[in-house]
Amino acid sequence: MEDEAFTDINGKAIFLDCQSHSSFCREFTVSSPKVSIGKVMVYTCSVWLLAYAVFFFTQNTAVLSSAILITLVGMMLHIHFVKVDHESLLVIGSLGIQVSSSYASGRETTTFIEMSKIKDIVINEAIYMHQIIYYLCVLLKDPSEPNAVSSVVPLFQVRMMHNVLISQMETCFWKASLHLERLYFPGKASNKHIVNHSILFLMNIVSLSFRVQSRG
Amino acid sequence: MGQRRRAAAVKNPSSQGVSGGPAESVRVSSRKHNICMVSDFFYPNMGGVESHIYQLSQCLIEKGHKVVIATHAYGRRKGVRYLTNGLKVYYLPLQVMYNQSTATTCFHSLPLLRCVFVRERITVVHAHSSFSAMAHDALFHAKTMGLNTVFTDHSLFGFADVSSVLTNKLLTVSLCDTNHIVCVSYTSKENTVLRAALDPEIVSVIPNAVDPTDFTPDPSQRQDDRITIVVISRLVYRKGIDLLGGIIPELCLKHPDLHFLIGGEGPKRIVLEEVREKYQLHDRVRLLGALEHKDVRGVLVQGHIFLNTSLTEAFCMAIVEGASCGLQVVSTRVGGIPEVLPEDLITLCEPTVRSLCAGLEAVITRQRSGSVPSPASIHARVQNLYTWRNVAERTEKVYDRVAGEEVLALDRRLQRLRAHCGPVAGSIFAFVAVLDFLFLLLLQWLVPDRVMDVAVDTTGPRRLWRQEKSSKNEAHSKGATRRAAELHHSDGFHASASVLAAYMMPYYLYDAD
Repeated sequence: MEDEAFTDINGKAIFLDCQSHSSFCREFTVSSPKVSIGKVMVYTCSVWLLAYAVFFFTQNTAVLSSAILITLVGMMLHIHFVKVDHESLLVIGSLGIQVSSSYASGRETTTFIEMSKIKDIVINEAIYMHQIIYYLCVLLKDPSEPNAVSSVVPLFQVRMMHNVLISQMETCFWKASLHLERLYFPGKASNKHIVNHSILFLMNIVSLSFRVQSRG
Repeated sequence: MGQRRRAAAVKNPSSQGVSGGPAESVRVSSRKHNICMVSDFFYPNMGGVESHIYQLSQCLIEKGHKVVIATHAYGRRKGVRYLTNGLKVYYLPLQVMYNQSTATTCFHSLPLLRCVFVRERITVVHAHSSFSAMAHDALFHAKTMGLNTVFTDHSLFGFADVSSVLTNKLLTVSLCDTNHIVCVSYTSKENTVLRAALDPEIVSVIPNAVDPTDFTPDPSQRQDDRITIVVISRLVYRKGIDLLGGIIPELCLKHPDLHFLIGGEGPKRIVLEEVREKYQLHDRVRLLGALEHKDVRGVLVQGHIFLNTSLTEAFCMAIVEGASCGLQVVSTRVGGIPEVLPEDLITLCEPTVRSLCAGLEAVITRQRSGSVPSPASIHARVQNLYTWRNVAERTEKVYDRVAGEEVLALDRRLQRLRAHCGPVAGSIFAFVAVLDFLFLLLLQWLVPDRVMDVAVDTTGPRRLWRQEKSSKNEAHSKGATRRAAELHHSDGFHASASVLAAYMMPYYLYDAD
């Protein structure tokens, strides 16, 4: 597992770790490398040089102090809200999944999605900034309307490349099953085509426990 | 299935360097192309260009090519969607400026279009419609990226007024690099060659097609105590609605059993309403408003005569549909119309009220005396004239020819632009081409081609999409249109569209939470 190099959509390396706690419980952790000191230096230096250039022409010391402030606040905000240290996905059979991401500052956010709300886990394709990417997401359903999708929750903040998603799907999810042509919307007959075709392609990954649940 | 998928996944990181990618895939799949259709106009917008792109794509998929479509986002419909047979549509979030055409800055569409071309391993970019800014942008970017291009022109243009002069200049620049141009009629070819100062050698004529199985005659729907003239067109100036406003009172006065059935909507509706009001013709002139494609046949079969009053037309689909339903066709002699139908199936008139009235009266007299051919015999003659499969075959030949051509390097491209488009415009656009190239280099540095995901093929030789085993192939041509119609009209589609929207909503909408 570890010898395969994974990258995110920007070509940076990420690491994927799969742990099996018990036959019902698995955890996947995606971690990205720490902020390199070089990068911090480059950003800091460029802001300070710019500030010094402005100071040189305006002779206003407020520019320098504000530059220091900007770098400090910027760095803090970056590590607190942007820079994700690692994210983990805890799948507990018949209970649900827990998604937690911890930021470089130590802040941690955790969401739990209970089994009855999960419709499926799929790879979707979407336009993200100026790129078109694949991403892993959970489809939620409303218990009152079991056939419709009520919302879509993307799973990882670190956008992984497709091959990561697939290898994850194939090697980690135990007994991952690709059942491509499952029909989600038993609506009108005429819809079937369109819906079937569109869904067909969102490669499904549903773990065994999910299926046991749906059978029960 | 899983194995193949894994193989594809393993290959992803190794397939480096996209400039080499497309060429490889051509060699591997010998003469199967990866085509990207680009136009501002695609469903849910309705019109001739839209259905042309859809039908052509479906037939090319059937022939084993890989086809994707890129258009701009329509309202909430943005992102990636799949249509029948795995036809993939990218609704890119580009700003719409005027008349469903995107704003052209020559640059802002490059990142997304590059992403589409690279991840889909496109070999031929096929742009549609000269009104579409996105199509021109795509031609420009494709050349910068070293791809072969084809352009289909769907409309005729004048030469005299300022707007035409400007558009023609832009077209000259845009088509200067394009490998091959397709026009829908010989008139349109002449027009395009003159407008864009092209070498006629690289311009092909491939007509539009209609689906004959959708337009079958049904004489029982006609009312025999009257003669009904059907007009189906958008009610705009170009379609000669003012002429129609002149014809209606004149003929209604002479023939008390004459009825008009007019389908379509547009700014000129007011002209017809005034005429109806003025001459008290409410019971004889029925304005049906906007018609959905599936309802068109139902209106056509109620009539005896189909009237087309267009002032300009590259290739008139409506008269073929009319004739296919077994109607007598009366039309103005403009643009490419004389080429469309054999002489004995159409009555051509000058675009004046008098000439059209004379033509209509001649047909009405023939209709009364019963000396017109039966609807079934007209349908039998028309049904094989224009088919989408034929269009796809001919387009395929264009792709085969284009795929073998070399793409000009930047320096030769610049020389060509300056030699071809005049010193001023040529220099300006040569400069723009250089900027575009630099922008591409920047993007390639920011997001190298090799880190971009390769999309999984849904069509073409390496598709992972299982075709349903049914008699679909036989009924394809018929089915395609029907499905297209379903797609765009039935409530069913809207229901499923909203469901799809839930699936395929753009990522950034969810990014906030």
